[in-house]
Amino acid sequence: MIASLRAESLKTRKRWANWILFGILLLALILLGYVLTYVVLSNPPRNFESRVPARILKREVFPENLIPNMLSLTSTIGAAIMIILGGLSTASEYGWLTAQTILIQKPGRSAVLLGKLVILAIVTLLIAVVVLGASALTSYLLVTIDGGSSSWPSANLLLKGFSALWLEFAVWTAFGMFLGIAFRSTAAAIGGGLTYLFVGEALLAQLLRNTEGVKEVLRFLPGVNAAGVNASFGLTFRNLNATTQLVDATRGTITLLVYLAVFTVLALLIFRRRDVGGS
Amino acid sequence: MGLLQGFAVETSGLSKRYSTGVLAVDDLNLRVRTGEVYGFLGPNGAGKTTTLRMLSGLLRPTSGSATVAGGAPGSPGSLTRMGAMVETPAFYPYLSGRDNLRVVARYAGVPTSRIEPVLRQVDMTDRAHHKFRTYSTGMKQRLGVAAALLKDPALLILDEPTSGLDPQGTVEMRELIKELRHGGRTVLLSSHLLNEVELTCDRVGVIAKGKLVAEGTVDELRARSGGSSLLVRATPLDQAQRLLQSLLLASQIQVRDGVFSLAVDPAQAAAINRRLVADGVDVSELRVSEQSLEDVFLQLTEQAPTPPTPASGGGEKQ
Repeated sequence: MIASLRAESLKTRKRWANWILFGILLLALILLGYVLTYVVLSNPPRNFESRVPARILKREVFPENLIPNMLSLTSTIGAAIMIILGGLSTASEYGWLTAQTILIQKPGRSAVLLGKLVILAIVTLLIAVVVLGASALTSYLLVTIDGGSSSWPSANLLLKGFSALWLEFAVWTAFGMFLGIAFRSTAAAIGGGLTYLFVGEALLAQLLRNTEGVKEVLRFLPGVNAAGVNASFGLTFRNLNATTQLVDATRGTITLLVYLAVFTVLALLIFRRRDVGGS
Repeated sequence: MGLLQGFAVETSGLSKRYSTGVLAVDDLNLRVRTGEVYGFLGPNGAGKTTTLRMLSGLLRPTSGSATVAGGAPGSPGSLTRMGAMVETPAFYPYLSGRDNLRVVARYAGVPTSRIEPVLRQVDMTDRAHHKFRTYSTGMKQRLGVAAALLKDPALLILDEPTSGLDPQGTVEMRELIKELRHGGRTVLLSSHLLNEVELTCDRVGVIAKGKLVAEGTVDELRARSGGSSLLVRATPLDQAQRLLQSLLLASQIQVRDGVFSLAVDPAQAAAINRRLVADGVDVSELRVSEQSLEDVFLQLTEQAPTPPTPASGGGEKQ
């Protein structure tokens, strides 16, 4: 597996698409999640209506709310970027036919895919570290510009928040990777993954979350479980607009871990057994 | 490069039926001797690429077995001793040729010091720093061969290595293949180009509709298909035909465009000429015609029985 790991590391590092995805995630996080929110809430429009005053709401981007704000922002754009990252890493091998070039070298199929999995785990870990660092730095700069005061979350909370972020990134990356192997097409893997995320999870789950019967099914979806985990990191003020979660943090974490294992095992099984090339 | 004893490739009843129902390879028994250049010849869609994919471990056979470079296809033991370029040379377009070889070397567990020698061997050193996506077909093919050579394999499998090359590139690739056999290396070369096989291979296996229809040296195949024939141009045609029919069996005589093609020993040429002239027939041309490999190929592939499900498509290189 070490051979595969070394090869994957070179491929991942030199692929511009990966760096572009990473850049998009950081830009979206800092500009949309922090700067824009702060600017709007610092100078709220006249017709701004909220049960919580804007001067309180803007504390969302300050260090005291680092974890909940970061998780909230990365739950959609982060998930989408991770699905694309995972999908590209596997589906491209079929699109470029490089799967066959790799598989006629020495390592077995399991070693090849395990190498890819480990690299993706490292990449998601590094992205999570940078996301946390960038969020912390931006929130510090904003509270300094604002001239107010804020406090940092405890080390325990930081660790838990970081673990949740990495777990969610890993689940969505594994989902994309699985789709890439199942569909053997970059367009189908990314299209299918994003459609599921934005239509299945974001739209249907929101619309049908109070429908009896459907609600039980929704409790098993990865996005709903990730939202349950994220909601456990509450804001320092009560967000009256927040929706009630369908699952608690413990169940959410366990379900996400199960999804991570299932996507990984399914990807391995398909990759090991299926023919490469031919019809 | 370790030398193998006996056969570098041996298959027994190897078959592949795709999920679509297409029987691409049907009961194939192939034997490639160690140290030879073996030409795997067949028309497009005959089952060549499917066979090579099975030998490389990319496809699982539906039935039958194979031993490749001393191991089961796709096993680490087999893959360590073989290098292959199956179908299209497939590399990462965003990486340079050299970086692509670095990736392949890492997967293969080969030291990166092997990269420069193989680049020199395929004459790609000057362009190795350019991105793969900028390469011409010829450069892609050469990089494919370089990647196959990284392991310094005892068995080299090349699928249509001159596909898409211009005449100059074809000649260069042919010369390269001749060089590659040095040191006792076995080369299994698939092609649908007869001239290429005739010029580079020690032995040839002809596959048609998924079945191996003939195997041997080029000369053996020619001989098996009737070998040489005698061409006679004579007038009047009717009179010449009557006379020849009295001398030979009907199956030995064919007439094409006013020329008789006689399946006889060329040593009989003088006797036949004397009889025709003695009977008042004017003989304007009489010569021995060696059957070309193309004739043999067409004869063999057209005669091949059609399997229960047509073996068209099947992932074959077109």
